[in-house]
Amino acid sequence: SVRAHLDKPSVIRLTLSYIRLQTLLKVHEKRNSLSGLDPLDENSMYLKILEGFLMVLSTLGDMIFLSDNVSKYMGLSQTELMGHNIFEYTHPCDHEEIRHNLRLTAGWCVLNQKRDFVVRIKSALTHRGRVGNLKSTTWKVLHCQGRVKLCAASSSVSCVLLTCRPLPLSHTLLSTHTFTSQHSMDMRFTYCDQRVTSLLGYRPEELLGRSIYDLCHTLDTSCLNKNHLNLCLKSQSVSGRYRMLVRSGGYVWVESHSAVIPGVQPSRSRPRPNPSQPLCILCVTYILSQKQQLPDVKIFKAFILKLLFSILKFQTNPMCNIALDEKVIYGQKKQLPDVKIFKAFILKLLLFSILKFQSNPMCNSALDENVK
Amino acid sequence: MHHTTTAGVSTCSAALRSLHRERRFQSAGMSTGGSDSTVDKPADRAAEEEEGPIQAESTMPSVELPRKRKGEVEERQSLNFNLEDDLSRSEGEDQQVKMKCFREPHRQIEKRRRDKMNNLIDELSAMIPACQPRARKLDKLTVLRKAVQHLKALKAGASGAFADAKHKPSILPHDDLRHLLLRAADGFLLVVRCDRAKILFISESVSKILNFSKLELTGQSLFDFIHPKDIHKVKEQFSSSEMLPQQRLVDASTGLQVQAEAPVRPSHLATGARRSFFCRMKHSRVTGKHEGKHSLPAASKKKETYRYCTLHCTGYMRTWPSGQLDPEGDAADKETPSLNCLVTVCRLHPNVSHQPPKDVNVKATEFVTRCAIDGKFTFVDQQATTVIGYLPQEVLGTSCYEYFHQDDLQHMAGKHRQVLRSKEKIETQCYKFRTKHGSYVTLQSQWFSFTNPWTKEVEFIVSSNRVISGPGHTKDESEAGSSKSTQDEAQQLPDIPGLSTGVGTMIYAGSIGTQIANELSDTYRANSSPSSGASSPFGSVQEKCLLTSRSTPSREEEAGSSSTSQSQADSSKEAAESSGAPESRGDLSQLDLDVPGLSSFSSDEAAMAVIMSLLETDVNMSQSGDFEDLHWPF
Repeated sequence: SVRAHLDKPSVIRLTLSYIRLQTLLKVHEKRNSLSGLDPLDENSMYLKILEGFLMVLSTLGDMIFLSDNVSKYMGLSQTELMGHNIFEYTHPCDHEEIRHNLRLTAGWCVLNQKRDFVVRIKSALTHRGRVGNLKSTTWKVLHCQGRVKLCAASSSVSCVLLTCRPLPLSHTLLSTHTFTSQHSMDMRFTYCDQRVTSLLGYRPEELLGRSIYDLCHTLDTSCLNKNHLNLCLKSQSVSGRYRMLVRSGGYVWVESHSAVIPGVQPSRSRPRPNPSQPLCILCVTYILSQKQQLPDVKIFKAFILKLLFSILKFQTNPMCNIALDEKVIYGQKKQLPDVKIFKAFILKLLLFSILKFQSNPMCNSALDENVK
Repeated sequence: MHHTTTAGVSTCSAALRSLHRERRFQSAGMSTGGSDSTVDKPADRAAEEEEGPIQAESTMPSVELPRKRKGEVEERQSLNFNLEDDLSRSEGEDQQVKMKCFREPHRQIEKRRRDKMNNLIDELSAMIPACQPRARKLDKLTVLRKAVQHLKALKAGASGAFADAKHKPSILPHDDLRHLLLRAADGFLLVVRCDRAKILFISESVSKILNFSKLELTGQSLFDFIHPKDIHKVKEQFSSSEMLPQQRLVDASTGLQVQAEAPVRPSHLATGARRSFFCRMKHSRVTGKHEGKHSLPAASKKKETYRYCTLHCTGYMRTWPSGQLDPEGDAADKETPSLNCLVTVCRLHPNVSHQPPKDVNVKATEFVTRCAIDGKFTFVDQQATTVIGYLPQEVLGTSCYEYFHQDDLQHMAGKHRQVLRSKEKIETQCYKFRTKHGSYVTLQSQWFSFTNPWTKEVEFIVSSNRVISGPGHTKDESEAGSSKSTQDEAQQLPDIPGLSTGVGTMIYAGSIGTQIANELSDTYRANSSPSSGASSPFGSVQEKCLLTSRSTPSREEEAGSSSTSQSQADSSKEAAESSGAPESRGDLSQLDLDVPGLSSFSSDEAAMAVIMSLLETDVNMSQSGDFEDLHWPF
């Protein structure tokens, strides 16, 4: 019934999109008939579970294809949007970022074909999820992930395939491998979950007032910076993988999903978000890996083990053998006091230095103050 | 699109009128205009229309339009009628003028619509291969005709996609959509039984991601494929709220963790319980060789044959009543009243995320350090030890100026000032950095200041340092004032830094950084605003650091290198707290004493340094004769 109402330019717009899409699909792999679930079911289930819609963008930003359920997220239907340019629907400040992500990279570099970014897009949905008046559009934050589909024949056919999801943060079951934290807008901790102790070793009190940049590995500063910027501008963000330093030394890979919310005091039993209160950042951090030790610690420990073995060998050291043989000659077989002391020293040293060497360089500076 | 039934002219124009009526309520950006009326039919009937009206209308003057157009916009019609009424009342001469004035904006609107239409048709002609090779521009009708033919050809080429009459016909055939989806998302659909973690369904695309075929995985236990350390995590996600009475949920509106009301009935589980987690799954490098691995017992024992990739799984819990179970289910299934499943989409976690490719190159002879704005180290890469000889703990809290050669101080101070004020990477020239042994390595660094996006103040400076040349032979030997334990280890003893360049220089070097930081925070204070208290720690730190640096000469003679850095670290630590001035003086007086803890500390540090130097000299520990060379401290 929608199609009967299409006006001419819309028809041509949709035709263009269709042709482009077909050209794109033809160029690539043969479509093998896949068994299993009815493709329609699988598609709709996939999209429903993913809680997002599919978007195919040309390098100029034309929305060549959008899946049916885009109306659930943007309030505008598939036929209304297809063929239009995405720059008409996104926040002007995000245009630069979108352009950057639409650029084609050289074909040989496979890794760089992945895309992952956050944009603000117009949504005609009202607060309750109904399609509202187009004049009262609000901004919705979408997390777009996907890849570039290159067409070697003509670069104008190449496009970017993306799945776009709004970022839900609420009502997700938190596992033991996640912890939540609240930060002030400059990313200093204002509250932290108790779980951080079992996961990273810090007590929540130790972290209050510290900036998250102190806790992360230096090489990941840019990743966190991007995350922070996204939060300040777009109010929601997904960080990539980054490393957080563990209190006892080493680091773990983590990923954080964050959002800006009106500040609430966690001590109150029934808090009501007050718009006049300052904003704060809510962060849910997922731990991805176990503690990775810094490589030199491994080498050091291996060395110590070697040392241990050589202590055992020390008994047969020619130097000692000479001394021992003397004792044997004289009928006494005692361990030389030097050997005893040496062994005691080595063991004490090993114990102490291994304990010390594990300590986090960062912990030596300011964190231990609180412990003292 | 092909299936739209085309009506006669009258019904079509009626439809168009209603469409225009709808469009009146839409904002300008949404509508696509185009009310060229005489050919208001979908494209595949355009062929039957005469050429005349299309061509003619574009050249007709606007005055004659109202008469010849059919399917006129209602509002314009009414407007025109009003206008004509008005006009009929006015004078004859004014008629022409008024009409022209009024129609002017309409003409513009019309022109815009026509231009848009022309643009679209041009684009269409560019896309259709049949229209390409023509030298001159084709007329619109031909373009449309060719477009129709092309579409028909495409439809014939597609594999029976529109056969499903019961489903709403979509623009894209379902197979293609799935293909696109899975390509975009790099994921697969997974349905797992909660009680035994048996994989009930997995989509084909898993073969692209994990290199296992769908058949190999269906029916297997999920735990066979998950990293052993993640099994506990995934088990948790399967649990329903009956087993885990305290679910932690995050309520984004308040930011708190909310306890789910327990017990939750299973029917509620079916719709609402969302799951989102990360896990690592096995993937084999070679497709379909999974069974082959079992034939090689030696290879299968090694854990390294499997690699893991991180997946982000999001989905829902679903419950099905037992009546819908597949007949293959064993007897146990009939016992359970309902089947709890986790339905998720597992996506490959992107590797490249937010990291600037090759911005920070850390190779073997490079290391990264981070320091506060006054130049004191707050993070030192472990690899730095192999270059500068100091362990990270020894260096933290000390100002980098203590390690620069005297000749370079001027230059480095200039760069320091520059980096605090600029957002770009600053390259320093080659400079000498003193190692623990007293020799100098030549480094070249790239400095980059990091600004907190919220407070807009510089938080720290990241330095990526590259070694240009190894330690030179400018050893400054100074044995005086070493700690007790290090005295005997003459050959391997690390020399104390700072003494070599003289006491006077120490004062100057230590305070350079703090002065520069001073300048910066003054500019911040001058410029604005109370920013989240970031300025005050700087203020207090500077005062105390100045006091500290003056006191260091007195300490030089007492302790070894490690204890010096330790004491400085201590004082800077204590200074960093928001304690008042008298306390800092108390600290200083304490520093004058020989704290017993420090000396034992330093002996172990020194001993550790000995071992590290042993490591460097690559002693083969299996040879027993090496112990002879060492003079152990007993």
